[in-house]
Amino acid sequence: MTVEKNNRAIIAVNRFGLGATGAELSAAQHDPEQWLLQQLVSPVFDKKLGDTESAFNMIADIKALKQQSRQKSMKLPDIGRTLIRPYRQALIMDSLEQSVQTNTPLAVRLLDFFSNHFSVSVSTQTMTLLAPILEREAIAPNLFGSFANLLIAVEQHPAMLVYLNNEKSVGPNSKAGKRARGLNENLAREILELHTLGVDGGYSLADIRQLAMAISGWSITDEGDAGPSGFKFRDNYHQPGARTILGKVYPDSGEVQGRAVLEDLARHRKTAEYISYKLAQHLIADQPPKKLVSAMVETWVKTEGNIKAVVTTMVKHPESWDSQRNKFKTPREFVLSAYRAVNYPEDVDQGLLNIAMRGLNFMGQKPFASGSPAGYSQLNVAWSGSDALMKRIDWISLLSKKTRETPSNVAARIFDSQLSPLTVKLLAGAESRAQGLAMLLLSPEFQRR
Amino acid sequence: MNDQNNKNIARRDLLKAAAGSFIAWHSPAALSLTDIPSDNLKPKLVWVILRGAMDSLHAILPLSDPSLMEHRKRLVTPVKNSAFDLGDGFALHPAFKELSRLYKEKQLIPVVATESGANSRSHFQAQDMLESGLPEVDTESGWLNRAVEAYRGDSVAVAHTLPIGLRGKHLAKTWYPDLLRPASDDLFQRLKVLYKDDQLLSERLDEGLENRQLLSGMEEVENKYKYNFSSLAASCAVMLADKNGPDCAMLEMNGWDTHQNQLGRLDRKFKQLDQGIAILRENLAEQWDNTVVVVTTEFGRTVAENGTRGTDHGTASAMFITGGAVAGGQVQGRWPGLAEANLYQGRDLMPTSDTRQWIRAILSQHWKLSAAQLDYVFPTIKTMDSQLIRPYSKSNTAT
Repeated sequence: MTVEKNNRAIIAVNRFGLGATGAELSAAQHDPEQWLLQQLVSPVFDKKLGDTESAFNMIADIKALKQQSRQKSMKLPDIGRTLIRPYRQALIMDSLEQSVQTNTPLAVRLLDFFSNHFSVSVSTQTMTLLAPILEREAIAPNLFGSFANLLIAVEQHPAMLVYLNNEKSVGPNSKAGKRARGLNENLAREILELHTLGVDGGYSLADIRQLAMAISGWSITDEGDAGPSGFKFRDNYHQPGARTILGKVYPDSGEVQGRAVLEDLARHRKTAEYISYKLAQHLIADQPPKKLVSAMVETWVKTEGNIKAVVTTMVKHPESWDSQRNKFKTPREFVLSAYRAVNYPEDVDQGLLNIAMRGLNFMGQKPFASGSPAGYSQLNVAWSGSDALMKRIDWISLLSKKTRETPSNVAARIFDSQLSPLTVKLLAGAESRAQGLAMLLLSPEFQRR
Repeated sequence: MNDQNNKNIARRDLLKAAAGSFIAWHSPAALSLTDIPSDNLKPKLVWVILRGAMDSLHAILPLSDPSLMEHRKRLVTPVKNSAFDLGDGFALHPAFKELSRLYKEKQLIPVVATESGANSRSHFQAQDMLESGLPEVDTESGWLNRAVEAYRGDSVAVAHTLPIGLRGKHLAKTWYPDLLRPASDDLFQRLKVLYKDDQLLSERLDEGLENRQLLSGMEEVENKYKYNFSSLAASCAVMLADKNGPDCAMLEMNGWDTHQNQLGRLDRKFKQLDQGIAILRENLAEQWDNTVVVVTTEFGRTVAENGTRGTDHGTASAMFITGGAVAGGQVQGRWPGLAEANLYQGRDLMPTSDTRQWIRAILSQHWKLSAAQLDYVFPTIKTMDSQLIRPYSKSNTAT
C-alpha cells in the first residue's frame, strides 16, 4: 500500500467533495474543516430550464397532440425526440454543469445523496419530464433544514406521487371510493421502508395500510384546475376517519393527517439511525465507524432531524478523517472528479460535458434511471467489478484524448503531487500526455477517495 | 477438501438413490455416462432474476380455481381464452409462445406457489434473501457463488455491477455491452504494472481483459438484437456456448413492479422474457441440451386487483425451470387455492414451497453437488424431492 501523509485538505476535497478542481486544493489547505462547513448552503437551480409548471404544460400538450393525431388519423410526430428528450437532456446537463462548476462540492454531494435516497426513475413519458425536477424543486431548497420539511416536500412532489402511484390512490370509503377505484399502497410502503424508518424499522403491514389511507387524496392537479400546477389534495379521494400508525392515533384532518405522520416519522429514532448510517456509509466507509454514526444519531435526535447539524457532526468527527481511502468512487463521483481534474470551473467545455454524460450512461449510473425506488447502490462492491473497471478505462481513454492538460500539473493540482512512487514512475514514463493523464485518472489513488 | 472425490461420491450416491425409481439409471449405458462430460458439453446453468415481483397469477393462470374471477376478473378476462392450456387447470399467458412450445416438448416445468424465504413484502429484502440463500442475509455471499465455488466452475453476471447472487469467495465476472471504443492495448499493459500493488484492481483488470478476449467478435450478435433483454440473453448464450466459457450465468430483468395498468405492461414484459428464452435456446445451439434455465422472482403480488388496475406486493409467486436438460411437461408445486380462507393473511397466495428447494434439487441433479456441498450452498433448505432433470442428456448419449 502507498504511504501517504495524512493530508486533511486532500481528504476534504476528495472524500467530502467532488475531487479538486482549479485552485480548490489550496483554498482548502488553510482550514479543511471550515472549508467544508461553509459549504452547507442549498444549491440554486434555474427554474426557466424546467419546473412543475412547464412539465405539466408539456404533458398536456403531448396529450392534445396524441388526441389530434387519433382524430385526424395523422401520424404522430416523434415526441420523444423532439420534445421530451431535449427537455430532460437540458436538465441533466445543467445539473452536471453545476456539479463541475460548484464552489460548494459538499452541498452537491449531499444533493446527490438525497436525490438517490428519494430515487425516481424515467419509466414513462410523464416520468421522463417529472423525474429531473424533484431534486431541483423539492430536495435542493430543503437540503439543510429539518428532514421533516424535506420529506414532506418530496412526498408531495408530483414526481414522487406519480412515480409511486399515489396520485390515483383512493380511500375505499371516500366519496370517489364508492366507484371502482381503490387504494394503492406503493408510496406508503416506500416511505416507511426506504425514505424513513428503513426495512427493519419495526412497522407492520397494518402500518403501511394505515399510512396509505392517511395519504390517500395526495394527488396532482388536472388540466381543468385553476391556479399553479402540482400537488393537490383531493378530499373526495381521502379515506375518512382516524388512523393508527406505530401505535399513535392521528385524527382525521384531511391533508394535515398525512403531514402529521411524516413529521413524526422524520423525528423517529429509527429514521435517525437509518439515514445517519446511510449518509456515513455514502461519504466515509462501507462499514462506517460506530462512534461516528451514533454521534450523528444523537445530533439528529437532539435537533429533531436538522440535516445541517447532522452533517456538521459528521464533518467535525475525527473518525471521518481516516487516512485510508475506504470508498471506491461511484461512476458519478468518478466522472465528475475526472472532469474537474482536467477542466477549470470557470471555463466549462460543453464537448467534455457531453462526454461526461455519456460516461455516466456507459458506466451504468444514468441519471434518474436506476429503475428502482431504492436508487443506485453506494457500496464499493457494486461498482468495482471487472466490467465496471474496463468501462472506466475505455471512458478515461476517450476523455484524456480530448484535453491538453499535462499529467504532472494535474497531479499537483489534485493530489499536491502526493502519489505512490510506482504511480509517479509510471506517469513519467507515459508515451504521451494523454496516456499519462489516463493513467493518473485510473491510478489506485484516483479510483478511491 | 477434495472436490473431485466429492463429485464422484455424489454421483455414486445419486445412482444408488435413483436405483429402482428410474430404469435408465440401471442400464449399463447410463452407468458409463457418469464420467465427466466432454469439455465442450458441460452442464450449464442460467439464472434469470425478475426484479420487482412478477405477478405469477397472470403468468400461470389458475383458470379452474373457482375464486380466480372474484379476485381479478378484469385482469383475467382479456387473456383467458387465448391462454395456453397446461393441464391440471392451469394455463400460460398467451404472450409465452416459446414457453408453450417448450412445454409441449417437455422442456419446461412451471412451479406454482413458491416463495423465497423473506417474510416481508419488501422488494429489496426479498431479493437479498433469494440471492443470498442464507438464513441471515449476507450481501457479500450469494448462493450461485457458493454453488460455483463448490462445483469449481466459472460464472458470469450479465450486469453493470455484480449482483448479490454472484458475490462471494469465487471470483465472478461481470459483463455488459460496450458503447465506447476500447482503450488501446498499450494502455492496458501499462495499467497492469500500475495496479500490481493493488490486489482488487489488478484482479479486476485481468478478468476484464480475459472477458474481452472471449467476446471479441460479438458485435454482430449485439447489433442484431440491440440492447434489450434479448441482446443480453444472446450475449449470455454466446459466452456459455464457448468451449472455454463459464458454467453458469446470471441475467437480470427489471420492471415487474406492476402497481398500475398491468395488462399492457405485463403483456410486453412476458413477450420480452419469452423472446429472451427463445434467443438463449437459439444461441446456445447444441449446448441447449445440457442447459437448465431457472427463472425466479422475489415474491408474488396480491391476489386481488388494486385500485389502479394493477396489483400490490404479495407473498407466493411462481418460477419456471426450462432447458434441454429439463424433464418437463407438467406443472409442479402444490396449489393452495384462492378461496378467501386459503389466502395468506387474507390477501396473498399461500406459499407451498421455497424457490430455493427447487434450485437445490437442480444443483443436486444437474451439477451433482453432494449433500455436504448443497448444505454449504443452502444451509437451511431441504432438497425438493422431485426429478427435474432428465437422467442424462441427449447430447451425452450421442457421444
